Amino acid sequence: MRGEKRMVYFTISDAVRLGIDYIKRRFQRTAINVASIGLANSFLTSLIMTDLFYATFNEYQGSSIGVDAYQYWLVAVALIVSVVGITNAMLISVYERYREIGTMKCIGALDQHILMLFLVEAIIQGAAGGIIGYFLGVVAAVLSSGFTTGFNIIFMVPIIELLGYLVGTTILSILLSIIASMYPAWRASKLPPVEALSYEL
Amino acid sequence: MSYDTVIELRNLVRHYTMGDETVKALDGVDLDIGRGEYVSIVGPSGSGKTTLFNLIGGLDKPTQGNVFIDGVDISQLDAYELAWLRCRKIGYIFQSFNLIQVLTALENVALPTVFAGTPHEEGLKKAEKLLTSVGLGKRIHHRPGELSAGQQQRVAIARALANDPAIILADEPTGNLDLQTGQEIIDLLHGLNKAQGLTLVAATHDLKMIKASDRNVWMRDGKVERIERG
Repeated sequence: MRGEKRMVYFTISDAVRLGIDYIKRRFQRTAINVASIGLANSFLTSLIMTDLFYATFNEYQGSSIGVDAYQYWLVAVALIVSVVGITNAMLISVYERYREIGTMKCIGALDQHILMLFLVEAIIQGAAGGIIGYFLGVVAAVLSSGFTTGFNIIFMVPIIELLGYLVGTTILSILLSIIASMYPAWRASKLPPVEALSYEL
Repeated sequence: MSYDTVIELRNLVRHYTMGDETVKALDGVDLDIGRGEYVSIVGPSGSGKTTLFNLIGGLDKPTQGNVFIDGVDISQLDAYELAWLRCRKIGYIFQSFNLIQVLTALENVALPTVFAGTPHEEGLKKAEKLLTSVGLGKRIHHRPGELSAGQQQRVAIARALANDPAIILADEPTGNLDLQTGQEIIDLLHGLNKAQGLTLVAATHDLKMIKASDRNVWMRDGKVERIERG
């Protein structure tokens, strides 16, 4: 065994392939996480959009309507609640997968590979929740401000600005999902294989 | 090393601390296992079989003593080298199969080849060949939940062989199987041992396995009680 190159491999694309398998076949838990991020982001997006619609409206009409600042505090609370909820769901998912994590370590997985696997799932969940939440938020904003500004207000906002917020809020959602998953993923990666294998759920 | 020894255990000790008490799971085990040998580790539960299995497999660290695999002291290996050892040198078979439930039989068997750096397509081809060789050629796209216990253990055996290991470690491989299926699994393992010269170390208290093996190591209270030729 001396002289041979002792390497184990697990690329990002392997992690993505496996991560997607997990998400597809354990759809329920993923759906809860995605919904949690999605709702928080839709709340944030609807506020930003309402603000944007009002500002556009004010420009045309010379009026001065706006969103109350305290609502942004509510959004912050919503985001924190969603992070805590995802952390909880991910911890349960780690417990469910104790034996599988042990098995993976038996067939050559390093700590960092397990970490990568969980983080890839977090990123996919964050992205899905972010995008879904954004569109829900835009619809909510149009509905809530439309009676004041007219429903065609959305067409008066430059499309590039709308896209900018889509990218921005999705990145934020991914970051929140990663933050929420960091501790569960770290715990999973540090599991000693013997303990993980003998675990009975 | 004179004779071609693949596993050497030297004064192997493993103590666990449970509260104030120290449990001596292994209490000084010396054992040499030759290449291509089929050895059964036998003993009542609590005799240290599984602890021995874990130490040989590099899944646990000894309190004292050494495990040499191919002349290399595995306690000296870093995390990377240990992962490589588990991936390439040793194939594990468990009582409860430990297949990944969300993956198909084919994907389960191909998984170790991912860690070995085999290209994906090649790994899948290899996995299909192995599944065919254990008699599951028609069930490669089934998930573990859709297979019988015996079939799941066959998948686990195919997975253990995925990276052409030198050693197969089996912990009570027939423990969850009925007599007939257990016998089939033993025949399969025995055949691999004889045909491919795989070293097979099995912790068991199944009489059928004890009969098939070259040597039986009887454990009691963390020590080797006696060794007999099969």
